[in-house]
Amino acid sequence: MLLLVAWRNLRRNSRRTIIVLVSIIVGVVSLLLYDSISYGMIRQMLDNSVGASIGHIQIHGKGYNDNRVIQTSIPDRLRAENAVRGMRGVRAWSSRVPSFGLLSSAQGSSGGVIVGVDAHSESRVSSIASTIVKGRYLEGEGREVVIGRALAGKLHVDVGDKVVGMASTRGGEVGSELFRVVGLFETVSADFDKTHMFVPMSSAQEMLGMGGDIIEIAIVLEQPEQAERVAADLRAQLGPDYEVLTYRELVPLLVAQLEMYDQMLVVIYVIIGLAMIFGIINTMLMSVFERVQEFGVLMAIGMRNAKVFSMVMIEALYLAMIGTVVGVLAGVALTLLLREVGIDLSVFSEGLRAFGAGAVITPELRFNGILAAVITIPLTTLLGALYPAWKATRLLPVTAIRHV
Amino acid sequence: MEVIRLQHVEKIYADNGVPVTALRDVSLSIAQGEFVVIAGPSGSGKTTLLNIMGALDRPTSGQVLLEGEDVSTLTSAQVAAFRLEKLGFVFQAYNLIPVLTAMENVEFSMMLLGMDKAMRRARALEVMRELGIEELADKRPNEMSGGQQQRVAVARAIVNKPSIVLADEPTANLDTHTGAQLLDIMENMNRVHNLTFIFSSHDPQVIDRARRLILLRDGAVEKDVSGTS
Repeated sequence: MLLLVAWRNLRRNSRRTIIVLVSIIVGVVSLLLYDSISYGMIRQMLDNSVGASIGHIQIHGKGYNDNRVIQTSIPDRLRAENAVRGMRGVRAWSSRVPSFGLLSSAQGSSGGVIVGVDAHSESRVSSIASTIVKGRYLEGEGREVVIGRALAGKLHVDVGDKVVGMASTRGGEVGSELFRVVGLFETVSADFDKTHMFVPMSSAQEMLGMGGDIIEIAIVLEQPEQAERVAADLRAQLGPDYEVLTYRELVPLLVAQLEMYDQMLVVIYVIIGLAMIFGIINTMLMSVFERVQEFGVLMAIGMRNAKVFSMVMIEALYLAMIGTVVGVLAGVALTLLLREVGIDLSVFSEGLRAFGAGAVITPELRFNGILAAVITIPLTTLLGALYPAWKATRLLPVTAIRHV
Repeated sequence: MEVIRLQHVEKIYADNGVPVTALRDVSLSIAQGEFVVIAGPSGSGKTTLLNIMGALDRPTSGQVLLEGEDVSTLTSAQVAAFRLEKLGFVFQAYNLIPVLTAMENVEFSMMLLGMDKAMRRARALEVMRELGIEELADKRPNEMSGGQQQRVAVARAIVNKPSIVLADEPTANLDTHTGAQLLDIMENMNRVHNLTFIFSSHDPQVIDRARRLILLRDGAVEKDVSGTS
């Protein structure tokens, strides 16, 4: 019957109940949207990073990741490529010869990473081919180069112009090669576009005096979650002279950001919770003060303080439950809708590109995000009701009955 | 059997920091089945005395024994339990719970006792039938007249079979005819169930029905007359 009284009390002042419910619903929806958008953005940054060039797994000669010099090439190219070719779960792979060097034009020069690739296999591993905004992607073995549009701007070159690539050879001399710009790409990362250039594998090998050797094999998996398992299998097959790293080790900052995300979320939830709690206290207090005489009568006829306390808390619980359920449904629906259409933040595209995120953010609905909202909001509502409920128990029946 | 004993009860309020004596050296005893009216002019201490007898208020000094139990020694939870089991209250403004129907209002104090739904429904119906208000069972307080609400309040007060019913100005908001009907009911309950009724009132028709009249003046008992009705 206490449940019934609490329920009917909510319906008694429907305007106030609706105001509290709306604030709870807005709180839940805000939390879900914040979670899905910011998690989606970090996820997108990681995916962009992996998709642009890193891949899910990379194979190098031992020690390359700590000291990226071309002297540390893959000990046995054929063996490594055969191991990858026969590995379960591998969707695509590409051999590469990356080196740090200088690209110069008549108007300027810029340092960066010159990546020698096999045009065909690379297009299945990285997204560069699909981000060409002018000209075309690499086609064959000629002396051609695709560069970022930002880099082209810096060098004052365009499609068809010539540039000179220079890098230290394996023997320690300076190797150089003349390339013709055949295409400009624009990824979601401004930094990547300013520092990367792609040339045919044979040209890079020749410029660096590498012979037929390669430095890196980038692998894309059917399922990214399999990265640890595939890497372990490759390590077992290739032995200690090879370095097999997953994307978790290759972009540790982004992965750490993703892993720390739940902890960062707690801070946001505490802030939103605090903002909500004062509204709840205020409304529940008003509700108690409006019923002082009624509480007085209930206490006079023998209702114990614990029951009076429970009655106010049950009212808060009802509000929390209804608000959370409606809020989660609305939040999930809104997130799914935004996921479908994407959130176009092209006005901030420059800033977002600096972080490696695209101009269109795709929110990502997470079970953890929903769970956190389902726990935080009712808890906040109940915490907010504690003081009003305690206040109700402090009433003296003899004075409360006469309260007007 | 004695149900209430007050010994040298004094109650002093602080009114804006100024001490006001509401009751002075009140000693009296009320037995089971009495039909008592506490009368007196406004400010004489009628309601204060009723509140102390109903364990809603504590005296500044003196002793209050309800069914032999010294109320001052009980914790607030024990006092609440005592009120629930032994006392029934009827208020001037009826004070029914507005969100509950008449039946639910009557059931409420049985719910507080932990009685199961079927039992309390049967008991509530029995009492409402006795008071002639069973047809009001599904009505909310705002759908009832003052007299009907007060009868529901009486039903709520007696449903737990208390030994004492305390009624503070129960007819003050009712017209003479409805007030008389209500008093008929209470007299009948007193006669049939040997239920002790204690009224605080200055309504002549209540005073006329008193079988014991306690007259207060300036917080002290001026007269305590039995067999007045």
